[in-house]
Amino acid sequence: MQLKKPKSIRSALAVATCSMLSGVSHHALAESTPWEIDTALLYYGESDADNSRVTVVEPVIRARKEIADDEFLTFRFVFDSLTGASANGAIPQSTPQTFTSPSGDATYTTSANQTPLDPTFHDSRGAINAEWELPLSRLTKGIFSANFSKEFDYTSMGLAATLSRDFNNRNTTLSGGLSYNADTVSPVGGAPAGLTPMPTTTAIKKTTIGSDQDKNEADLLLGVTQVINRHTLMQLNFTYGMDDGYLTDPYKILSVVDNTGTLVGTDPYLFEKRPDSRARQAIYWKTVHQFSEDVLNVSYRYYWDDWGIASHTLDLKYRAELGRGHYLEPHLRYYSQSKVDFYYYALPDGTSPDYASADYRLADLDATTIGLKYGITRDENSELAIRAERYTQSSGGDAPFPDVNANIIQLNYSLNF
Amino acid sequence: MFRFTITLLLLTLTSLSGCSNFGVQPWERDVLAQKKMQLDPYPVDTYLDEHIYTSREASSGGRGIGGGGCGCN
Amino acid sequence: MKQIVLYPRVLGAILVFVTTVVTAFAAPAPDFELPTKTGSVSLQSLRGQVVYVDFWASWCKPCRKSFPWMNALQVKYGDKGLQIVAVNVDSDLEQVKRFLEKYPADFVVAYDAEGKVASLYQVKGMPSSYLIDKQGNIHAQHIGFREEDKASVESQIKQLLQN
Repeated sequence: MQLKKPKSIRSALAVATCSMLSGVSHHALAESTPWEIDTALLYYGESDADNSRVTVVEPVIRARKEIADDEFLTFRFVFDSLTGASANGAIPQSTPQTFTSPSGDATYTTSANQTPLDPTFHDSRGAINAEWELPLSRLTKGIFSANFSKEFDYTSMGLAATLSRDFNNRNTTLSGGLSYNADTVSPVGGAPAGLTPMPTTTAIKKTTIGSDQDKNEADLLLGVTQVINRHTLMQLNFTYGMDDGYLTDPYKILSVVDNTGTLVGTDPYLFEKRPDSRARQAIYWKTVHQFSEDVLNVSYRYYWDDWGIASHTLDLKYRAELGRGHYLEPHLRYYSQSKVDFYYYALPDGTSPDYASADYRLADLDATTIGLKYGITRDENSELAIRAERYTQSSGGDAPFPDVNANIIQLNYSLNF
Repeated sequence: MFRFTITLLLLTLTSLSGCSNFGVQPWERDVLAQKKMQLDPYPVDTYLDEHIYTSREASSGGRGIGGGGCGCN
Repeated sequence: MKQIVLYPRVLGAILVFVTTVVTAFAAPAPDFELPTKTGSVSLQSLRGQVVYVDFWASWCKPCRKSFPWMNALQVKYGDKGLQIVAVNVDSDLEQVKRFLEKYPADFVVAYDAEGKVASLYQVKGMPSSYLIDKQGNIHAQHIGFREEDKASVESQIKQLLQN
């Protein structure tokens, strides 16, 4: 015999639910729930054909615990240590080039016919993130988080809130989120005035616009997750973001050149200048599908902003179960972006644009990642994994900047106790 | 550009309203309940990847939260 | 016709059960017969007892907390006329075995791998529980398992056992 719910029951239930929500109190869990601990260590080592570049070592620890019915607290601590050299934006010349360090108290000289790298890069960063997830009703969930990070020349603080609600017997989930980040950049030696010369000797100091520069970022996220069938799940998200404030990289310069690409003038290097606002959007689609025991994870993101960037990101992961908890997961990622409107490989002498940057990360760029992860899930309470990836970046347009390759190795250990 | 975005979003959402035809019964979520079937089964990996790519490329954002899983409670 | 009889009864039930998410209506619980480890169990044969039917699965995390609690209830009220029937909906019995090794059951466990009984009871979420009175009617149904609901469910059981 089928059960029928008369209409009056449905409205009475709504009343009961609402009064329940107003009167709900938190009950600490009688039996202790486990701590879920995830730890990881990342090594990232980048280089081009001539030189090694940036190296990062980054340990992460994440701890999560259920503190009441479906209510969780999560903490994440990250420490990263960055050493090595990074391209400063200048282009190779047939003779060695000399630049001043950000402080203006030292100089460094780079070899002829090599992309100049600034070797004064070494920085440590610590970041902490706390997240509180709780049910607001049987079908609604809220996630609230705060984050803080600090490095020598950069401080960042942020808050985020997301609400999600389930529909269709929890087959459909709608999510909406907001986040806000307030950052302060305190460049070494002060923030250089955009498009002013970078001194080539320590005798002259760069023109600065102050020491602390603020920037803030606001993001809106709208998403829908849908169970397709017993083996398939899909998600579609739309994000909108607005950045305001000091968005320039204070350590990057442009070479001022003639039509043969040779440095020109007494001040052949200018500090870059980016706009003080940026509006960006992204559409992201992801599918997770299980074949017998193996899982395929495919995602695509289209991103565009008002600086001129339009990018495509395609990410594929296939987890092949090897039996007895062992798995192998190959990973492929294709990335392609179009340049910002104010990108110059080098600034032609005589042009005076409002904004200009020679940072190759804002140029027509293609990047490919190919990787493999090997993991062992002993039981559902512990897991060990190692992954190795090769990340290659190359020019996607006319700018002849060199290919940059990076090796990525990561070790993971997770434990529930 | 803004109008295009809103139109695209509305089109996507209206077409997804047909999604009530897809799905499983609450007792058929065994596969979806597995860790490897979650949208973000390894949040530490995701965090590290995002950190690498946002500092080496010009794009950011996209990923979201919530949905799928065992649908319990 | 049924609606007119139900209305004052529902209002009374809402007043009593206002702190829990519960739908209260007196409809006969659909009969079922399902295999158990030792034979089979039929709801009809349990008429005269208070029956707590719980739909569970090995992949349902809240079920790890509900099992010790249901064991305690079965022990405490078993000889007063309570029978807990935990209906499992897993399709893989290997997983069920592993779950029961970690969280053993002192009550009846029935197997509904095809979900026919779950469908019959219109289960809306996992786990779902149905409290059936001595006359065979569904007194209350509950979606999910929460610590904060344990006390009120237990007092409802006590009340039904006294009738």
